Amino acid sequence: MIVNEWCMYCGECAGVCPQNLIEVREISLKINHDECKDCGICIKVCPVQALQGDD
Amino acid sequence: MMETDVLVIGAGPAGSTAAKHAALGGAQVIVIDKKSEIGSPKRCAEGVSKDGLKKLGIEPSSRWVTREATGVRMVSPNGTAVNLTEDKVKLPEAGYILERKIFDKHMAMDAARAGARIMVKTLATGMRREDDQVVVTAENMGQELEIKAKIVIAADGPESRVGRWAGLRTALAPKNMESCAQFEMAGVQMAEPDCIEFHFGSVAPGGYAWIFPKGDDIANVGLGILTTRTDKTAYQHLLEFVESNPATQNAQPVELNVGGDPVGGLLKKKVADNVLVTGDAASMVNPLTGGGIISGMLGGRIAGQVAAQAMADGDYSHKNLKVYEKLCDDELGESFKKYLKAKEYLLSLSDGELDEIADVFKDSDFETINTAEMVKKLIKISPKALLKLGKLF
Repeated sequence: MIVNEWCMYCGECAGVCPQNLIEVREISLKINHDECKDCGICIKVCPVQALQGDD
Repeated sequence: MMETDVLVIGAGPAGSTAAKHAALGGAQVIVIDKKSEIGSPKRCAEGVSKDGLKKLGIEPSSRWVTREATGVRMVSPNGTAVNLTEDKVKLPEAGYILERKIFDKHMAMDAARAGARIMVKTLATGMRREDDQVVVTAENMGQELEIKAKIVIAADGPESRVGRWAGLRTALAPKNMESCAQFEMAGVQMAEPDCIEFHFGSVAPGGYAWIFPKGDDIANVGLGILTTRTDKTAYQHLLEFVESNPATQNAQPVELNVGGDPVGGLLKKKVADNVLVTGDAASMVNPLTGGGIISGMLGGRIAGQVAAQAMADGDYSHKNLKVYEKLCDDELGESFKKYLKAKEYLLSLSDGELDEIADVFKDSDFETINTAEMVKKLIKISPKALLKLGKLF
């Protein structure tokens, strides 16, 4: 997962992550990539399209 | 290791209210918030009802009330407006438009004055059980710390990670998470400056767009969408709304806010051993309006009171905390069920149907019309209302 620099750290992605893998800090986003199954739900809900898959 | 009776995670209005009431009830309370400034950035249109504040015993203050909104203006896709004013109907979320950045701080200050200890820039990173208590790991300015608490109140917002650490299912499906974007703008020319304004239909698929006045020519202009119903982002829809809406033709943004709003109805299981979930984290949000300030604070107050009582009992088990669920369901859950039905109906309407309904009601005198007559009128133009809303009246 790539977090683009215009991410606003609102945390909507974290709220829908079925595995609770996204830690939203004040000005950074920490994703547990090892356990991510690339379901893409976080990408889809982002209000500003800040997340994108690796490929 | 730090130790406390009650640890509140998140100092939004729900968390601060929980902390205040736990402290007033005699508990030792720590509140942590990950942000350096409580209340900022706002993720909210900032409307609260007067009744709601009154119920919470909070006196409105000129420090955090930007203005009063005495009416509601609802606009259909073709621009037909239905205006409701306070003297004619009871309005669920109208009343005051807040300055949340200041309001949230003041609620946290009230918690502090009640005896709570507040730690800002402190992020909870995990949780484990130890004996019959809970140890929360956290980070503050590069320092790892551990806080041992008898009760944790999870008020960590729509991210709702803490509840899941306790085994509760607080994750939301995208159909229950409104994706929102909002500009705070100057130069807004509202048709009815005393009204909060709602725009329905394809302008905001699965939600609605709003204009909430903040005094002078300032307003929050935003919308919420369901990402299951559109391929565009909330931000893209917002740009389109601002470009097409007459009120914002000469308006300029001074702030952009985004975020998720949990609109699926009250979380069912809100309690685990040593843990209570409250506020947005427990979906304490009116599913129709998306408003959650008052409801989150009402839930937070109950959480604080239940936590204080559990401290007095010396019993922090799920069994002893479970009364929290019943109290929240009574306070919020029943009305949310009705609002959820109303929302389902609203979202089932096409742009054409919304225009037809607005056309029927635009000249109604709401002062003389009663609910039954209104429903009769609605069913005549929109027969499926009977099926979807019938049981509500």
